[in-house]
Amino acid sequence: MTERVDRSETTPLVLEARDVTKHYEGVTALDHATLAVSRGEVHALLGGNGAGKSTLISIISGVTMPDSGAIALDGDVMASSGPLAAISAGISTIYQELSLVPALSVLDNIFLGREIKRKTLGLPLTSDRRRMEREVRDLAADFGVSAFELHTPVSEFGALKKRSIEIVKALAFDPKVLILDEPTSGLEDAERQVLFGYMRSMRERGVALVWVTHHLEELFGLADNATVFRDGRTVATVPMASTSIDKLVTLMFGSDREEFGGGDTRKIAHLKPSVGRRVVLSARNLTRGTVVRNISFDVHEGEIVGLAGLAGAGRTEVVRTLIGLDSLTTGTVELEGRRLSLRNSTSAYRAGLAMLPEDRKQLGILPDMSTAQNISISRLSTVTKWGFWMSRRKERALADSYRTQLGIKTPDVDARIGNLSGGNQQKAIVARCLNTSPKLLIFDEPTQGIDVAAKVDVHALVRDYAAKGGAAILIASEIEELLELSHRVLVLKKGQIVGEVRDIPAAIEAGDFARIKSEVLTLSAAGQTS
Amino acid sequence: MKSSSPFARIMSIPGMPMTLVLILAVVVFQLLNPVFLNGSTVANFLTNGIPIILITLGVAIVIIGGGIDLSVGTVAGLSAGTTMFALVQGAPLAAGIAVGCGTGLLFGLVNGFLVAYLRINDFIVTLATLNVAAGLLVVLSQVRPLQGVTVPGFAELTKGSVFGIPTSLYIAGAIFIIAQLLLAKTVIGRRLYAVGISAQASNVAGVSVPHLRLFTFAASGLLAGVAGVLIASRLGAVQAFLGIGYEFIAIAGAVIGGITLAGGGGSVWAALVGGLFLATLQQGLRLNNVDPVYFSIVTALAIVFGVVFERQVRGVILRSALHRTALFASNRAKPAEQDTAIATIERSHDNGK
Repeated sequence: MTERVDRSETTPLVLEARDVTKHYEGVTALDHATLAVSRGEVHALLGGNGAGKSTLISIISGVTMPDSGAIALDGDVMASSGPLAAISAGISTIYQELSLVPALSVLDNIFLGREIKRKTLGLPLTSDRRRMEREVRDLAADFGVSAFELHTPVSEFGALKKRSIEIVKALAFDPKVLILDEPTSGLEDAERQVLFGYMRSMRERGVALVWVTHHLEELFGLADNATVFRDGRTVATVPMASTSIDKLVTLMFGSDREEFGGGDTRKIAHLKPSVGRRVVLSARNLTRGTVVRNISFDVHEGEIVGLAGLAGAGRTEVVRTLIGLDSLTTGTVELEGRRLSLRNSTSAYRAGLAMLPEDRKQLGILPDMSTAQNISISRLSTVTKWGFWMSRRKERALADSYRTQLGIKTPDVDARIGNLSGGNQQKAIVARCLNTSPKLLIFDEPTQGIDVAAKVDVHALVRDYAAKGGAAILIASEIEELLELSHRVLVLKKGQIVGEVRDIPAAIEAGDFARIKSEVLTLSAAGQTS
Repeated sequence: MKSSSPFARIMSIPGMPMTLVLILAVVVFQLLNPVFLNGSTVANFLTNGIPIILITLGVAIVIIGGGIDLSVGTVAGLSAGTTMFALVQGAPLAAGIAVGCGTGLLFGLVNGFLVAYLRINDFIVTLATLNVAAGLLVVLSQVRPLQGVTVPGFAELTKGSVFGIPTSLYIAGAIFIIAQLLLAKTVIGRRLYAVGISAQASNVAGVSVPHLRLFTFAASGLLAGVAGVLIASRLGAVQAFLGIGYEFIAIAGAVIGGITLAGGGGSVWAALVGGLFLATLQQGLRLNNVDPVYFSIVTALAIVFGVVFERQVRGVILRSALHRTALFASNRAKPAEQDTAIATIERSHDNGK
């Protein structure tokens, strides 16, 4: 297991995707896609938004059934029988969203659902923690988790340690293939380097790593090969040693600008320019300690203003002050000319603001409530008699109308929302916001952790909202998504606005996507344009 | 959970497993001693049990909203004391009752204010007010003996009956119906559950979490006040240490009824069943000549049993249903989400510890 594996030309293929095709209700997510990964290789999976990477990994990890095609492990075609079968066959996946249980100890997380049982009164009832610890102690130590930390609740650790724990959790079951979906998201620079070290040591253990990432610069010196996807098709597999970022970008997006992640002009067309329109929200000198500093901007009717910036730039902090979750040190906010007192979220909602929060699971849904109850909660007066008496009939009717209107896929709006897929949960939260008839809607990472098909739908909802004259503020970490949806982007760095990019729909239509993208990226990173 | 059996669905209603246990307990005690279901025994038993059951309801409301109120027992004791005091001083019946209820409400508002607006941990706040109320009752009882009330009608609050049913049963019945409607049918009830499920997410959705918290503590205090008045009426005299330990029985009753301490779950029915179960247990032991010194031990064991029982029943049901739907029947959700779903259930059980 720990011996150094020779990665020569003759290394046998461990994982193969053969001609995999998948449709999501008319949208072709994968079109005869192929992938070939050798033993002990770091294989990058690249592609723009909706290129099919997520769909492919969800098929490989047994979560999704392909319409046609097959996945082969060590040359044997796998029966598509669900994620558990994939894991026991040797394919583990570490998702972008952490899937650890915060309250449980590291050890219990590692063995969650696969606990080693000790017999009590002849029945395998209790977990044998001592044996579990013995099994993973050395492995955990290799990835920076001490024996003591094994017994500490996961909630006490930061992002990097949580990744390490996920890695240990995956490796504890001797996978042949480990899929890493954006493993560096949420990590600081130094932490990324540690993670890369771990990835090298996994490679040395002979594990094939399939690495999904948007950050091309991370690949060099670590990835062995890269397979590029575009529009659900496999474009090419190239050895990293003989390629460059430019070549990869061309492979990812093609030479045709129309095919850029954000370059679909058909969708852009109905985003009208905001010049001369009525100002809906006017924020002046917003300041909160040192995280938000002197931010001023306007949002017009029918306009989507994007907030760009790196992690920690203060984007979420700005919108949290607007919605009254965090209080301002100084600054004023006017909504349709009326000065708001932003004491708490209730007064913000009452004034006509609404927010779709980041981190749907923690901040968005009320998991134990039904879809209908999740939709109505922000403005219960729309489903009451006499303003305080809940009407089940009205609540159902409201939920059913949003279900049809937004395409929320659930057999029953009275079913627990926790059982819906991420995308449908997100649509329900959009419905919740729309039900308050907001004057300004804040979308904070609206497509975080939802699948391709749902992403497309949520994008359509955001556009539709603005097309009907709604004003919105959008935060999206994926730059393509941000540019694709915004009329105008404000770039934040260290809590301040360092730049603004206007007339984005027109620029994209003119084929300038790459230019504005690099402008926004440069501003985010450097604080000024070069 | 469409795929679960009818049995599983019935048992997953909050308080339902305990309802069955309650019925079982009644049957057992009846078999042991046929006096158990005798009319006057039942009337007596209900009159004795009602104050505690009301306190249980109050605590349950706080717990559903995601908090805890430890002060209810001594606040009820103090409310009994202030009512007595007012009546002894010659206040009319209505004023005496108002003083008792007001005492409870005042303590509830103070608790709520400290917890909701000054954001002090509710455990600490109510532990403090528990002792404040207990101390005040000692002081009050030294000012003058809290007994010998002759105000007409006061004793009848608990000892009287209308159409053969004890007066206090009407009072408790009305309160339970109001509470049930409030929680199940109104905007406040909906927000209460939302805040209990996730205060954070509710806040983001624009629900005023502080107002709601204040409401839960105020309700709990008021119910403790009402309970105090009934206790004073029943006992006719209030001693210095009245009410100490009631919070234990009340919280236990709520938990036994199936209200998870994690918040967001439970119902008025669950509180009623849990409270009734403990009262039944004590009554049954008494009628079977068990020495009262063993009551608290038996009660405590019953609590542990009740919690384990509730958790096992619900855990088995939820888990089996979840595994069936999430892991085998459906490919839709990501494993991460299934983990979270399983984790949510496990967490809610862990928190019940």
